[in-house]
Amino acid sequence: MSLKVKFHSLFRIKLKSRGHEYQLEDEIDVMELIDLLDDDYDGYFSKKLLDAGEISPGSIILVNGENVIHKDGVKTKIKDGDTVTLFPPSAGG
Amino acid sequence: MREYLKRQKKLFKSEEREKMAALNVMVAGTGGLGTNLAIQLQRIGVNKIYLYDYDKVEISNLNRQLCFGRDDIGKAKVEQAAEFLNQFKLDTEIIAKNEKITEEMELADDIHIIFDALDNFETRFVVDKLAQKYGLPFIHAGVEDLFAQIMLILPESKSRLNDVFAGAEKDDTPAVFSPAVTITASFQLLEALKYLLGRDNYLKDTILHIDLFNSEIEKIELR
Repeated sequence: MSLKVKFHSLFRIKLKSRGHEYQLEDEIDVMELIDLLDDDYDGYFSKKLLDAGEISPGSIILVNGENVIHKDGVKTKIKDGDTVTLFPPSAGG
Repeated sequence: MREYLKRQKKLFKSEEREKMAALNVMVAGTGGLGTNLAIQLQRIGVNKIYLYDYDKVEISNLNRQLCFGRDDIGKAKVEQAAEFLNQFKLDTEIIAKNEKITEEMELADDIHIIFDALDNFETRFVVDKLAQKYGLPFIHAGVEDLFAQIMLILPESKSRLNDVFAGAEKDDTPAVFSPAVTITASFQLLEALKYLLGRDNYLKDTILHIDLFNSEIEKIELR
């Protein structure tokens, strides 16, 4: 299966990357994706996205535009062809 | 047509001009985004602006909140913003609502759209629920550092604000910089107008992401 991860905002700047595409044998969940990203980006994403194994406050993870907090959180399954969008939402005004 | 709107006349069909001149809007928050929006809304000649906020002007507001100066510190934001706007003697009616936004509050029945000009997601989720309750369009904007996002939420939209941004609440105070705030408010207003004036190229189940560091604007589809 293939999946696309898109980085925006600070993630894009810090990592000097617009995203990453993975070709995998099996379906994975969000936590496994974060592990994969950590391998490729030196542990960056677990620090940014996780707090005690859950999604940290101020972070959102979208799979095909849906916030995984409304699905199974870090256990949300990612399927073939899915797009994961990662960006820290801007909160100010 | 009002004489002072002559230079924008060519941009719009006559029915669009009529719609714009009749628009009544609610601006939820009279801070950075709110003051920028109010100034722009007045200049384009909408009918009525309901300005909401219950804070007083503080020194830390002055880097980006364009209706206030040092002499206004301690005054109610909405009243000061209305006084600032009214000095220009343009035709838009400014209604200062010095009150906290809650799910139970009553909104005027002539509002056409709610602008999110807030500085935290907790209150944004409250306004989104209000918009849903009243069947009103709601246009979200958030700005931080050199980044921003805008999302138009309609009564018929597939995703509400909380569907996308649940968990975005955080405790730290966001860094805000006036040029980024002004650009965000301008985009927010333009995107709202596309919908309100009946054009078909408005944001549909899409986040407009603005990256001023890389000079990039992207649409993130919420499919």
